[in-house]
Amino acid sequence: MNDTKKDTTKVGNTSINNKLILELETLKDNFSITADKLIKDVRRQDKIMLRSDKRQMHEYDELQKKLLEIKELQIEIEETQIEVIYTMGAICEGRSKETGNHVKRVAAYSKVFAIYYGLDKKEADMLKQASPMHDIGKVAIPDSILNKPGVFNEEERKIMDQHALFGYDMLKSSSRPLLKAAATVAYEHHEKWNGKGYPKGLKGEEIHIYGRITAIADVFDALGSDRCYKMAWPDEKIFKLFKEERGEHFDPKLVDIFFDNLDEFLEIRESLQDLF
Amino acid sequence: MENLYIETTKYTPEIKLDLNGSISIIGKSYPENTFDFYEPIMKWLEDYLNLKNSETLTIDLEIIYFNSSSSKLFFDFFDLLEESNWNNEIKINWIFDIENESAQEVGEDFIEDFPNLDIQLIVK
Repeated sequence: MNDTKKDTTKVGNTSINNKLILELETLKDNFSITADKLIKDVRRQDKIMLRSDKRQMHEYDELQKKLLEIKELQIEIEETQIEVIYTMGAICEGRSKETGNHVKRVAAYSKVFAIYYGLDKKEADMLKQASPMHDIGKVAIPDSILNKPGVFNEEERKIMDQHALFGYDMLKSSSRPLLKAAATVAYEHHEKWNGKGYPKGLKGEEIHIYGRITAIADVFDALGSDRCYKMAWPDEKIFKLFKEERGEHFDPKLVDIFFDNLDEFLEIRESLQDLF
Repeated sequence: MENLYIETTKYTPEIKLDLNGSISIIGKSYPENTFDFYEPIMKWLEDYLNLKNSETLTIDLEIIYFNSSSSKLFFDFFDLLEESNWNNEIKINWIFDIENESAQEVGEDFIEDFPNLDIQLIVK
């Protein structure tokens, strides 16, 4: 009896044990499937990260390469622009028997004036590039007048003076800041502080600072250079004139800048001498 | 269930999900929130795979540029395909430009990870 009971219990226990084992085995299988999936996911994640890192590195390298190319192109554009501007300026100077170095000197003087006047470096650089175009309007002046030795008659003077307006007309429609500046320079570089200049007869600060600066830079260089119709003035004579024209032809502040920084201007003249 | 069409944007590809058995995803894939963006697509695919259609399912994937999340999402996309009870043929074309090394590599990863799927690498 006892044995039978024991057996039944045994059978019962076995059946309980089997159920537990079955559940555990199912759990084990599920765990195994989940673990496999997790391992697969982690591996996949690692792979994605690895690929992503490689891709990022490649992209960054490409970006750097492209950026460098853009920078080089930008330099190329700027240098071409400067060269074209100097050439344009030199074409006019060439036609009127002046030298290419005249425009380079005027450019360099203009920048020095601009910096000491208080314009920021970017604007001073722009004026340096724009000022060589001050006489661009002379391309529209006939050779017979442009290169006439001696003094102009009234009619010829009128035509000659139109070069400021011609230059302005050539450049005014551009939307580029540099050419806009050049248009201003061309238009106003013959205006005088006392209002007796041309073409508009502007007075004092009505004249754009670019015009006032280019005026003094241009006159300083023109007087100090040999031309076919005249010899270079001695410095003392130029300085005397500048003092007389302070507040007349020229902005007094610019004349002061000129004398305060004379060495710098003379150094530019020295380094950009005309070679004959 | 209807066809689903999503127009391309700066950050997302053009997506065409057609009930006649064609799916195409073409373009760049780097949305700000990739999983939100693809949620309706994944839902559509899941529903579609539960339909008892008899046609072949052709999937053209031409992803020019993708972020890591998109890459993860494509794995999930293939998981759906692999785990589905779809009885008919599934053809997957992973299309890429010969110079697009990243696209080629990820295509190779898909083939490696999904040996049961018919994934073809197609050079443009």
